[in-house]
Amino acid sequence: MAPPAQAHRSPSPSQPSGKGEVSDLKSQLRQLAGSRAPGIDDSKRELFKKVISYMTIGIDVSAVFGEMVMCSATSDIVLKKMCYLYVGNYAKVNPDLALLTINFLQRDCKDEDPMIRGLALRSLCSLRVANLVEYLVGPLGLGLKDNNSYVRTVAVIGVLKLYHISAPTCIDADFPPTLKHLMLNDPDPQVVANCLSALQEIWSLEASTSEEASREREALISKPVIYYLLNRIKEFSEWAQCLVLELVAKYVPLDSNEIFDIMNLLEDRLQHANGAVVLSTIKVFLHLTLSMTDVHQQVYERIKAPLLTLVSSGSPEQSYAVLSHLHILVMRAPFIFASDYKHFYCQYNEPSYVKKLKLEMLTAVANESNTYEIVTELCEYAANVDIPIARESIRAVGKIALQQYDVNAIVDRLLQFLEMEKDYVTAEALVLVKDLLRKYPQWSHDCIAVVGSISSQNVQEPKAKAALIWMLGEYSQDMQDAPYILESLTENWEEEPSAEVRLHLLTAVMKCFFKRPPETQKVLGAALAAGLADFHQDVHDRALFYHRLLQYNVSVAERVVNPPKQAVSVFADTQSSEIKDRIFDEFNSLSVVYQKPSYMFTDKDYRGPFEFSDELGNLSIAAESADNVVPAQGVEANDKDLLLSTSEKEEIRGATFNVSGYSAPLYDSSAASVQSELAIISSTSAGSAPSSSLAIDDLLGLGLSAAPAPEPASVPPSLKLNSKAILDPGTFQQKWRQLPISLSQEFSLSPEGVAALTTPQALLWHMQGHSIHCIASGGHSPNFKFFFFAQKAEESSNFLVECIINTSSAKAQVKIKADDQSTSQAFSDVFQSALSKFSV
Amino acid sequence: MLQCIFLLADNGAVILEKQLTGHRVDRSICDWFWDHVISQGDSFKSMPVIASPTHYIFQIVRAGITFLACTQVEMPPLMGIEFLCRVADILSDYLGELNEDLIKDNFVIVYELLDEMIDNGFPLTTEPNILREMIAPPNIVSKMLSVVTGNSSNVSDILPGATASCVPWRPTDVKYANNEVYVDLVEEMDAIINRDGVLVKCEIYGEVQVNCLLSGLPDLTLSFANPSILHDVRFHPCVRFRPWESHQILSFVPPDGQFKLMSYRVKKLKSTPIYVKPQLTSDAGTCRISVMVGIRNDPGKTIDSIILQFQLPPCILSADLTSNHGTVNVLSNKICTWSIGRIPKDKAPSLSGTMVLETGLETLRVFPTFQVEFRIMGVALSGLQIDKLDLQNVPNRLYKGFRAVTRAGEYEVRS
Repeated sequence: MAPPAQAHRSPSPSQPSGKGEVSDLKSQLRQLAGSRAPGIDDSKRELFKKVISYMTIGIDVSAVFGEMVMCSATSDIVLKKMCYLYVGNYAKVNPDLALLTINFLQRDCKDEDPMIRGLALRSLCSLRVANLVEYLVGPLGLGLKDNNSYVRTVAVIGVLKLYHISAPTCIDADFPPTLKHLMLNDPDPQVVANCLSALQEIWSLEASTSEEASREREALISKPVIYYLLNRIKEFSEWAQCLVLELVAKYVPLDSNEIFDIMNLLEDRLQHANGAVVLSTIKVFLHLTLSMTDVHQQVYERIKAPLLTLVSSGSPEQSYAVLSHLHILVMRAPFIFASDYKHFYCQYNEPSYVKKLKLEMLTAVANESNTYEIVTELCEYAANVDIPIARESIRAVGKIALQQYDVNAIVDRLLQFLEMEKDYVTAEALVLVKDLLRKYPQWSHDCIAVVGSISSQNVQEPKAKAALIWMLGEYSQDMQDAPYILESLTENWEEEPSAEVRLHLLTAVMKCFFKRPPETQKVLGAALAAGLADFHQDVHDRALFYHRLLQYNVSVAERVVNPPKQAVSVFADTQSSEIKDRIFDEFNSLSVVYQKPSYMFTDKDYRGPFEFSDELGNLSIAAESADNVVPAQGVEANDKDLLLSTSEKEEIRGATFNVSGYSAPLYDSSAASVQSELAIISSTSAGSAPSSSLAIDDLLGLGLSAAPAPEPASVPPSLKLNSKAILDPGTFQQKWRQLPISLSQEFSLSPEGVAALTTPQALLWHMQGHSIHCIASGGHSPNFKFFFFAQKAEESSNFLVECIINTSSAKAQVKIKADDQSTSQAFSDVFQSALSKFSV
Repeated sequence: MLQCIFLLADNGAVILEKQLTGHRVDRSICDWFWDHVISQGDSFKSMPVIASPTHYIFQIVRAGITFLACTQVEMPPLMGIEFLCRVADILSDYLGELNEDLIKDNFVIVYELLDEMIDNGFPLTTEPNILREMIAPPNIVSKMLSVVTGNSSNVSDILPGATASCVPWRPTDVKYANNEVYVDLVEEMDAIINRDGVLVKCEIYGEVQVNCLLSGLPDLTLSFANPSILHDVRFHPCVRFRPWESHQILSFVPPDGQFKLMSYRVKKLKSTPIYVKPQLTSDAGTCRISVMVGIRNDPGKTIDSIILQFQLPPCILSADLTSNHGTVNVLSNKICTWSIGRIPKDKAPSLSGTMVLETGLETLRVFPTFQVEFRIMGVALSGLQIDKLDLQNVPNRLYKGFRAVTRAGEYEVRS
């Protein structure tokens, strides 16, 4: 299912390759480039449009880059825009040609028209070519001081873009303080908002290395800044309001007066037409009042109506997002929504994921006063065309019954389900009746009468069949023909595919035997014999166990198999309340939609709010296998901050940043293999080791082996390698000749590594697991020589490595050549960490 | 922090791609998405927020075009979805409607719009008025102009004044020869009538839509005769909060042109304008159906465009349906549509017929739900009434118009 990480985009085979057209365009553009004839702009525009349309459908038109730049000397703004668009798209793969555009972009940055100034600046910053950053600083500085607010808004975001291309350049140019000044003083609200978003990002990323930055980050949520932003909130655009509100939600007011002031100020935001603003406001309200129980309650009352309106207005997509948030609130405080239960009635047209949420809410809000209506409604869904929803609604009825309201009426309904001749309805109802009987044994009489009339042939689903058999065993004294039904079931032992059913059958026959020995004895013998011959280990063991018990002492066996039972008072909830609280903390985020706290679906190493990963498999959400393993560890790793207060939580997070930043290159280069290692470790140690300590273990290993331990300050940006990189030996040789050596280093090998390196192949396999591939190798102990290559995941930029290892001195001499020189240090770190982990 | 926006055609092909940050999102994500959609069956039924192995995907579908946005970081989901909705609205506003060809013909404009709407993944300006000043819509007038003058630039030379104005939703210099303002109450009735014919839920979701063609910087005040019936309200950012808080008066400086001033909800209505009475009886493998439709509560105006739609249960093999009024259609996917139009004076429309069940099935256990559509011009069924509309700062010659319409929203009758 996973999309392949293509190194570069290639047009799909169904599309025209466009080679002929591209060379056509190239010559046409060339003709126009020098011309100054009147009306030339129109023909240029047609050609540009053609180029852009090819680009849009995915044909690679980077070949005309030079011609496009030549044609860009124009005063026509549409031409300019198209050119900017083109340049922005291809500059990254043509870093050398991008230099050509700098000139005209810089000139446009000084144009009289603020629109052109802004556009040019935006394009300049969007080139994202690392070796051109020096050209950005000047125009950005001017842009920040521009007297037109449009240019300033663009410049502020430009600073952020610069930061992502080259953080040191941005910091050295002293841009963050300038942004701070603008944020607090600029008359234009959009400039202020952009400053805020840029500063948040820059300072959060800097915070791990610089104390000043983390102080500045804290200062953003200080009283003066928050008040300044709140006072201007109405000037901001709706999106900027969301941003400010997200920030306010982090602010901790000093006293209750402050809380009320803020809430009063923001109350009208609840009536905003934009749902995102409303939800952000709600988040602020909920977070501010967490410690004030009664006010918190009132907040629920206040936000109820806006939320319900949001659900009924807007597109289905918006409704769904709001509904998931409503869902979490309903689950937290069902009683507050009890009177609004009709809002959770399912409409025929709604997609099933919406219906499912609504069913859960209906179940939650059921209380003495509305149970009857809700159950009536749910029963109507049981006849729904949508079978999964019909099943869910029957389950919901059962859950409500187990919540102990008005059981009387519900039992009748459930029994009606049993009489409905729909196999899935019967199946679900049987499971429910079983649960119900475990909680309310007093209803056995009514239920058994109906259950007894169900023919076991009509029940096929294992869960339902098991439930039916359980009831046959448990209430065999009340059911006339229980032994005979069990007998016929036992006769079909061979045909029963589900081990669960066979297990239940064994137990049921035992129970029946204790109650009605004469009738059951024969069946019991047959069942035990069949069980002993069963190929399923559990079934066989249980049969053997029963057999021995009976041999030992029948009355003891009865006490073991059929002791007097206590009614179950509460069934265990599937999702712990801790997790629900955790999701609530992350209100107005994706967590709510997925109904999982973020640590369960984002990367296992939480890597800060703004760091991206391009590697497949890093995000464990969709990968089912990883899903089973990682969350379990995540829970434990995060349990300790669940218990801490919010302020302490922040500190802990900060600390985790450090750890993860430290180990980032290590993990990224080998996400897949690390993941599988994790799986193995966790299955052996039953998930007792939290993932963070694993990371530290790896760190220690690295510290032992690597001579120059990398300093935290110089953590390189994580580099992702293409695990399926291909390079033929010819190209390798050619490149090796052409490229200069960009890095030459000497690494130490761990003693384990040296021990493991008896043949070159051992290392090859290991490095391959880290997406570093070998193209040639040779030598005998103690001297080995390797040629490796690796490819960046997102583009076809190659790294070539010559590695000479001497096992007697435990040293590796490494020469690295790279297409993209700027990343060779990062690659070297990846290489080193991969090498250092090599052992038997 | 959206990283990328894709527009997909109804066959899953990428129409347009806009990378927003340095972290390029490969097109292959669209293939993954489309496989996912196909595996889910109906594309309209797949979740608006999906987690792919590499990215979180927001998606909305408008007129067959899928708007897709990707991100890798935690962000408010509504921000992503609302933004995509806004993109779709603006594009259909600019292009007149949405379809693949229109987007392909005008992709330069689409790129320009996206450029101004979002920068580095964070939404900037989505206010249609400001955008329209920055990038002229490709309308007939500008096309004509370009033919006549040879100048086809659709970008205005000046920056919009509103970016610096204190009323960001309104352009600074608006002039009209005829000053007009129209206020429409548009209501949708959501109702559920259960199997026993009981009205279990009946609500109205309404909008006050204003078309404002006024010169200068007008200041309007709109008041209702009975604002107390409104259960919950949401406002366009132009509405001042205090006057509403204290006197339930809408005071605002309107945007130019068409906009949604306010939306509201009215709860717990007691009756519906029409009744629909379905009856299904089945035995021995056949099912007789009869549906009656009539006026329950005359709203005083004609009820028209009445349409009944229902999905026949999968266990039905064939259906023979006739009506004494209107037309009945059964599509191959077993969706049955009965278009009634207006209810005639002399008779109550009814639909009747027999349906054959699957062999082996004696009686029908799964019942259809009837979805009802209707429209009533000139009436707001919630009972909301506009009291008066006052204007300040406008020229003397002025035309004010009021209209109301009620439609069926999610109106369903179960059988």
